[in-house]
Amino acid sequence: MQIISQWISLLAILTATFFSISGVIGFLRLPDVYTRLHATGKVGIFGVILLTVAAILQIPGSVGKGLLLIIILFISGPAVAQAIANTAYQMGIPAVVSEHADSHQINHQGLED
Amino acid sequence: MDQILRISYFASLGIHILMIAVAVWRTWRGDNAIDRLIAVELTSTLLLAVLVILAIIERNNIYMDVALGSAAVIFIGTIALTRYIRNEDIF
Repeated sequence: MQIISQWISLLAILTATFFSISGVIGFLRLPDVYTRLHATGKVGIFGVILLTVAAILQIPGSVGKGLLLIIILFISGPAVAQAIANTAYQMGIPAVVSEHADSHQINHQGLED
Repeated sequence: MDQILRISYFASLGIHILMIAVAVWRTWRGDNAIDRLIAVELTSTLLLAVLVILAIIERNNIYMDVALGSAAVIFIGTIALTRYIRNEDIF
């Protein structure tokens, strides 16, 4: 039982670190406010919640606090992301649309012609 | 097994502290106000992650309490900052 909980917490902490690193790299390299917001949402949900799962498994007597922290993160993450995206949209910050976004439409028009 | 777990905890702690430095730098040199606000929110989320890793390393429950309180305060603070940026007024 001890071995199983240790393996699960090792897997959780490695996955959480991977998601945090990918979220920060996405925040640095994506071209747009909205896509950067999408990348940082992964840090809040997957990173901290998987670390909290590892903490619940490793620390004795922290089940209630860990579950409360998970509930708070599940509520606050999407609410904060929606508030920031709504503010950016109302301020008129443009979204970057790539060249390849319309490629299917161009092919369709070419086929119709 | 204990040694592997301990090494992974400390490696994760170091990586998260490095990423906090990156997010603070991005707060300083952001493209616009919304970008800096996203950087502030990312910094506080990574701070929560560091607190939870410290709780695992020290095997102490008190860091989880700190993480709970700061999660609630960060939520309210970010909502207030978005409202202030949008119409120059909090309430």
